[in-house]
Amino acid sequence: MILGTEEKIMIVDKIKKREPTAKRMENQVDIQVGKWVKCSKCKEILYKETVRANHSICPNCGAYFRMHINKRLESIIDEGTYEKFDFNIDTTNPLELEDYPKKIKGLREKTGIQEAVSCGIGKIHGEEVVICVMDSGFLVGSMGIVVGEKITYAMEKAIELKLPIIVFCVSGGARMQEGIISLMQMAKTTAAISKLNEAGLLYISVLTDPTYGGVTASFASIADIVLAEPGAMIGFAGQRVIEQTIGEKLPEGFQTAEFLLEHGFIDKIVERKDLKDTLYQLIQYHRD
Amino acid sequence: MGQKKEDNGEAIASSMLELSKLKVPVISIVIGEGSSGGALALGVGNRVLMLENAIYSILSPEGYASILWKDSSRTKEAAEKMKLTANDLYELKVIDKIIKEPQGDEEESFLKVAKSLKKEIQKIIEEMKDLSVEQIVEDRYQKFRNMGEYKILS
Repeated sequence: MILGTEEKIMIVDKIKKREPTAKRMENQVDIQVGKWVKCSKCKEILYKETVRANHSICPNCGAYFRMHINKRLESIIDEGTYEKFDFNIDTTNPLELEDYPKKIKGLREKTGIQEAVSCGIGKIHGEEVVICVMDSGFLVGSMGIVVGEKITYAMEKAIELKLPIIVFCVSGGARMQEGIISLMQMAKTTAAISKLNEAGLLYISVLTDPTYGGVTASFASIADIVLAEPGAMIGFAGQRVIEQTIGEKLPEGFQTAEFLLEHGFIDKIVERKDLKDTLYQLIQYHRD
Repeated sequence: MGQKKEDNGEAIASSMLELSKLKVPVISIVIGEGSSGGALALGVGNRVLMLENAIYSILSPEGYASILWKDSSRTKEAAEKMKLTANDLYELKVIDKIIKEPQGDEEESFLKVAKSLKKEIQKIIEEMKDLSVEQIVEDRYQKFRNMGEYKILS
């Protein structure tokens, strides 16, 4: 193919235009794809570090990102005081599902955490507490044998050590893969709360987005004080399921923390940046 | 607040909490389709009995297939995997006793089931009548405390 002069000029122009772009790319090699995150609410592309430095809140629209266990502990517990309970357990796969153990193993490697909850002892402005933090990155924070056992163990430890206990909830509910045994974890954790009550110890739950199913219907809802983060979605059944069952539209804002506060299921909505101080204050009040 | 628009998670949790604290023996009996938190809300008993042909599960098989496999048509497969029969649950130590349901004439069968249930309830009351309040509460606590075997992770 022989090109005319005009066509040649066009191609040269194209190459010239491309050049600066290529150079710019070269200058920005340090910015990798993994360093950016998209806000699910305002769709803004954000630099991860900026979001992290802002309590994992979108600096553009104020939406809350879900927090990794380590990040949450860092924001609540005094530096260097968290001691995870030396209690590492694994599920026995009660339904004998083929792929389930593989899935758990893969998640452990991917997330760097062992299960959907981490429990231990730490200090909040010097006040010692037992703390449990769930993580939505591990099978949506669902509760099976391990989560149920660890939460119960933590509650029993709180009783033994006479310490307040704080549970950060985020969960899709009981873990389907462990069937009825997951359901029984609701009764187990709730029974442990009856012992906490009897011992007169303070139990605070903090509901974060999303808290659903068997976790809402057990330890999340029946704390002495139930706090929630702004805008968190909290419920038992999902909205679509309820609408289909009752055959009517749900009211505006149904299952938001704000709706639940208005209807008396939550005691206070606390902004993420104020959570540590609020927890500290509540522990102080309870002791006095 | 409309009754149905109120979410029932807190009600289930409160019901379980109150049952955990009761100072008298609690006997729960699964007589038909016991499913999810609604069933468990009444299921925190010192003894849990179950009729031979009843089912007790985390969710309906339809819901289970829909959530786990995103395919609600796999209901039959879900029902087989879920271990929701009285025999399965007895083996998993979720229930304590299976009440036989003899085949045959419906009314006659019903009367037989009622009779064996009555006998079983009387037996449990007899077993527990000398226990102190603390022992009754602790007996129930330990029953649910031991739900779900785990392995130590190396």
